[in-house]
Amino acid sequence: MRGLEVLTEFSKKAGAKLEPKKIKIDDTTLRDGEQTAGVVFANDEKIHIARMLDKIGVHQIEAGIPAMGGDEKDAIKAIASLNLNCSILGWNRAVRSDIDDSIECGVDAVAISISSSDIHIEHKLRKSREWVLDSVKTSVDYAKGYNLYVSVNAEDASRSDMEFLLQFARTAKEMGADRLRYCDTLGILDPFETFMRVKTIIDIIGIDVEMHTHNDFGMAIANAIAGVKAGATYINTTINGLGERAGNASFEEFVMALKHLENVDLGIDTHLFREISEYVATASGRFIPAWKPIVGANLFLYESEIRATNVMKDSSTFELFGPEDVGLERKIILGKYSGVNTVLSKLNLLGYKATPKEAEEIADIIRAKSIAMKRSLYDSEIAETYVSFKGGDKHGKKQNSKEV
Amino acid sequence: MITERKDKGYINIIDTTLRNGEQTAGVVFSKHEKIRIAKLLDEVGIPEIEIGTPSLGPAEREIIKEIIASKPNCKLFTYCEADPANIAYAVECGIKNIIINISTSDLHLKVKYGKTRTWALNQLRETISEAKSNGLDFIVSAEDATRTDLEFLLKMINIAQKKGAYRFRICDTVSRLDPFRTFLYINTILNTIAFPIEVYNHNDFGMATANAMAAVRAGASSLVTSVNGLGEGTGNAALEEIVMALKYLEEVDLGMATSKFRELSEYVAKASARAIPVCKAIVGTNVFAHESGIHADGVLKNPRNYEVFEPGEVGLTRQIVVGKHSGSHTILHKFKEFEIDLTDKEANDILAMARSMSVDLKRPLFDKELMYIYKDYQENKQMEV
Repeated sequence: MRGLEVLTEFSKKAGAKLEPKKIKIDDTTLRDGEQTAGVVFANDEKIHIARMLDKIGVHQIEAGIPAMGGDEKDAIKAIASLNLNCSILGWNRAVRSDIDDSIECGVDAVAISISSSDIHIEHKLRKSREWVLDSVKTSVDYAKGYNLYVSVNAEDASRSDMEFLLQFARTAKEMGADRLRYCDTLGILDPFETFMRVKTIIDIIGIDVEMHTHNDFGMAIANAIAGVKAGATYINTTINGLGERAGNASFEEFVMALKHLENVDLGIDTHLFREISEYVATASGRFIPAWKPIVGANLFLYESEIRATNVMKDSSTFELFGPEDVGLERKIILGKYSGVNTVLSKLNLLGYKATPKEAEEIADIIRAKSIAMKRSLYDSEIAETYVSFKGGDKHGKKQNSKEV
Repeated sequence: MITERKDKGYINIIDTTLRNGEQTAGVVFSKHEKIRIAKLLDEVGIPEIEIGTPSLGPAEREIIKEIIASKPNCKLFTYCEADPANIAYAVECGIKNIIINISTSDLHLKVKYGKTRTWALNQLRETISEAKSNGLDFIVSAEDATRTDLEFLLKMINIAQKKGAYRFRICDTVSRLDPFRTFLYINTILNTIAFPIEVYNHNDFGMATANAMAAVRAGASSLVTSVNGLGEGTGNAALEEIVMALKYLEEVDLGMATSKFRELSEYVAKASARAIPVCKAIVGTNVFAHESGIHADGVLKNPRNYEVFEPGEVGLTRQIVVGKHSGSHTILHKFKEFEIDLTDKEANDILAMARSMSVDLKRPLFDKELMYIYKDYQENKQMEV
């Protein structure tokens, strides 16, 4: 079947080795992240996040929308004047006055955004394709006149007619734009479509491409990776995947997927992941789910017998990277799914001794308690269980235990 | 779509919320909750569900028996590690279908069992014999399959096929694959052995759903899911994402009652004490909330501008939120809902007040607060006059 052959060909091409030095992160936590319904950062928070992003090693920060004026403009000005190592980019509509606002803020790069899909051109902009191309021409020309780095954002690129999108990209390139941002605005692409489309643009137009993916069907990361495999060199990420609706490609997931699945190390300081995730979670009022890939608090928590016992023997049985790589800790907890070996190890860690037969009985008690309380047990509850099992006999405790 | 699948047929879903979902560190369902979740999954139209692990103990077996007694329409499975001794527990529960799991990677064989490949083949054969002699039907599941030597994995699949398994489950236990590798891997297997393949994905790098879809394109015929993606570590492929991605990205409509998704997700969230993040794909409350001027304006003009399907399809509602990023069209629209027609000037003035209040409060505004702004605005205007 043609379909299968095409997919096989894509998949093989996608397996080609990547060049780490070419891949750059343009983080948009401060722009698309804050644009999330219900999220507002204070200016001090924005500045702090910018500093953390710079420290962790992102290449460019999309700092906000200068045309919004007021506080937003103040924050962008402040960030641009921090003299960070990374580039600072302002987001604009394809309008001169927006670009003037960006220039006033002192950013070194601008994103010029305009929809390229007929749906958006007809129903949102209520204009024509020609009008869109004209807007790209005049606004890119204007921005380049000020020596700004220019990214032209094709909004809703994934629902755009490919012929028109190529024309759009060519226009941008001819006017001197530095890259094209491919926006999967609704998160409707899958990795195979992404690969094919991005490769087509790069092959035909020869412009740097940036991926802007959304997670509506849970594919933001896979699509960002697919874009990179097709030759995209910039990735628009956000901390925790913060962003409109289901959010954007999460910074920490993208960096770790590249590192551990593609063997591409972007030189990002991953040890700071949990810290920056917590900060953005607090500032955005959006908690980090305990199971969030890479930074969730529970990722290195083990309860079920098979995982717990094997991870203690050799962590590579269930982990591709260790908790210390991302600022987390490994912990054994006891509950409904704990078995005798886990109980023995845990008691040992807490400084208690038990024979295998005793551990069997204690495991029964712990499982029953866990079922009754509908949760795993705290260490103090495990200690209580042990002590009361031993009939309050404190001698069961190891002599060398620190707690004695 | 240029990249078509070989066969746009039916894709089976086997949901493991009640088994691997509950196995998540810290999660325990009560009996009542397990029975309710089974009922909800059945109502949504999930064809197959894993209901538990009989070897865990008498309490678990009691729950399994009760779920079986409730006679749902879906096919029920219990789970066991490959060991002939485990079959008796399943038999005691009165279950008809089981999953027999065995690790197949050399790393797991060494660390988990301290055994050889030959041992694993025998262990699988013996467990299957025991299951068959008790009249059980089964799926064979290969844990850590994606780090397993392919030749050895094919031997395992061969045994499953010869012994009459329903199908063979490939577990990407440590999320070793991306969609392209998943495709090549499943495609290679299916080119070698014509036997139904099911995939079981974890979400360690955020690619569980994408990998499952890639497997479907390569010809996998069954997917393992859990509600909200609940599962060990980062969790599994989320049921609601899989069903909607199949429908909208792969054009495979399983005909499920998707309008119950939010209800099901909420119930599992409560029972597992794991809140649904507002940004959770498909069922998060924020998925249909629009604040920014561009998006809200776009959605008000035509929902298709920023939405692929209607919120009601998954049991959600659309919200237009007024905050820092709102535009004047949103204000005009909001006040129309309150039956107040604003002039453009009024809308712009109120927008400026609303934005500044939102920045001050670090959150969007309630409808009431918008009305207060409007009243203040009116009063100020009268004072000016």
